Amino acid sequence: MTTPLITAQGLTKQFVSYKKNPGVMGSFTSFFKRNPVIKDAVKDFSFSVAKGEIVGLLGPNGAGKTTLMKMFTGIIVPSDGELKILGSNPWERDKNFRKRIALVMGQKSQLWWDIPAMDSFLLLQKYYEVSDKNFEARIEKMSELLGVKDLLHIHVRKLSLGERMKMELMASLLHNPEVIFLDEPTIGLDLVAQENIRKFILEYHRENECCIIITSHYMQDVQALCDRLVLIFDGKKGYDGPLSRFEDILGNEKNVTFNFSSPQEPESEFWHSLNGEWSKNNTQVDLRIPEEKLRESSAHIITTFPVEDFATDKLPIERVMKELMNNPKLLREQQSSETL
Amino acid sequence: MTTGDAIKNNFSKWWITIQISWVKHTAYRLNFFLQIIGPALVFFFVKYNLWSAIYGADDSLVIKGFNFEGMINYHIWAFVVGLVAQGHGSWNLAEDIRLGRISSYLIYPFNFWEFHTASWLSFQTIQMFIAAITLGVIAFFDLLQFPGWNFFLIGVAYTLFISLFWFALQYLTGVMAFWLEETWILRVMLSVVSYFLSGAIIPLDLYPDWLVNILNYTPFPYLVYYPIKIFSGETSSLGLGLIIISIWTVVIALINHLVWKKGIKLYTAAGM
Repeated sequence: MTTPLITAQGLTKQFVSYKKNPGVMGSFTSFFKRNPVIKDAVKDFSFSVAKGEIVGLLGPNGAGKTTLMKMFTGIIVPSDGELKILGSNPWERDKNFRKRIALVMGQKSQLWWDIPAMDSFLLLQKYYEVSDKNFEARIEKMSELLGVKDLLHIHVRKLSLGERMKMELMASLLHNPEVIFLDEPTIGLDLVAQENIRKFILEYHRENECCIIITSHYMQDVQALCDRLVLIFDGKKGYDGPLSRFEDILGNEKNVTFNFSSPQEPESEFWHSLNGEWSKNNTQVDLRIPEEKLRESSAHIITTFPVEDFATDKLPIERVMKELMNNPKLLREQQSSETL
Repeated sequence: MTTGDAIKNNFSKWWITIQISWVKHTAYRLNFFLQIIGPALVFFFVKYNLWSAIYGADDSLVIKGFNFEGMINYHIWAFVVGLVAQGHGSWNLAEDIRLGRISSYLIYPFNFWEFHTASWLSFQTIQMFIAAITLGVIAFFDLLQFPGWNFFLIGVAYTLFISLFWFALQYLTGVMAFWLEETWILRVMLSVVSYFLSGAIIPLDLYPDWLVNILNYTPFPYLVYYPIKIFSGETSSLGLGLIIISIWTVVIALINHLVWKKGIKLYTAAGM
């Protein structure tokens, strides 16, 4: 492995907020005496990312993903721990460091609202000192890939969300950054637009060998883009490893789907014990069966019930995520068993 | 990269920001058109009408040395000084901070103050253009007493110098947005106070002497009253005005620097 582009060691960020009692009296008393509440947004986070990696940063709302992204890009200063990106401390915000990174925020527009995207691009070209030749080539290439050639000269406020997001991506990649942070780049987009953006990111990554950190709530994003997942819960790192091994967190269980020719009774003793997910009309069930019991259970179901067809499948990461969000303890068990 | 290249690159960053700012200001055609002819209309409907009502039909009426023509002339120049020196509101600045848009500037290799100063320069060129149109319209109606090119050019240069002071001051109210939810009340207070104390509403000659004596120690009279004197052909106050405004501008610029440093620390610590 080459030397990592990003290393974080014990990274911690604490936010102080003030508790206020409700109502006018509360405002009045808090005016004179404030009760600080200290919260760890990110706690003791360590990892390293190598050149060319695409890492998916996952976690529920408020887990600390955006806080991490802000520390990575130097927008906020860590409370504790070490962070080196491209050899710099991001929060020193050295201009040369800023020239080598990019941040795209799905929730916040970085383009100027009242002017066409092309004008913003020209501005960024000068800010990032991109030569005319490179600039034109990149605009040509990216607008072709994203299918937005006709939209470059239209005022940004008149673009649809999907179109605007494509422009945001272009704007942040004009200077050929070495490390790219994408904070929910597909939020609010329709399926086709999401896929276009994913394809573009993959294509861009293949050509430029850059390092990408991406956060998203859409598991398709993660599945399509990332080789590696980092899970963050309550500010702490959970899972960190290849996408292919993510489902192992829940143990070696298989996902099996059965279709029946007639509705079944989920409340019966047999089905109840298997705890499956039933379709509305009770003719389909998703089961999670431990690998060693797979043959036995399946055989029993097929011979006892009117099965039309069945399929086994790896656990979709969406289900793994859901399971973990509902029951974060699973993650801790997994970690403690790993450290033993 | 040589120093020459660095300067050239930096210059082109400022230049493109100024250009984009022009594009932004002129993005809405009707709005821009109104911006150009608005001031002239306001002048005729408000100031001209007000003072012709006060002076009435009496041609010989003189108030504290001002006859009707003199008073109108005073207000023409007050208007021009206001347009050029004080037109910029720095609204964007506070908004950028409050809505968290400054995150973008923390990432771009071009700083927040550079961006806003370049935008201001761009805005100033537009204000000069508007002021020229307004003066032209007023001159067309033969209301203007032109002091001669000498005084006129000195007056313009001095007014531009004052605009630097105003920019520094408004920048300060803008960066207060790190602490305050809303900064508009600060701006309103500032402009109301300066309106009265700088002679923009009525000439300071109409104020009691003791008040004028005190005011001479503040920057206010040098912001409107004395520039008008220059445009009326009297430059005796120029040196004192330059010194006082320079000192204030430098002091405010230093405060801005400190406030920004403290504010950005707060911002980067909390992320807002």
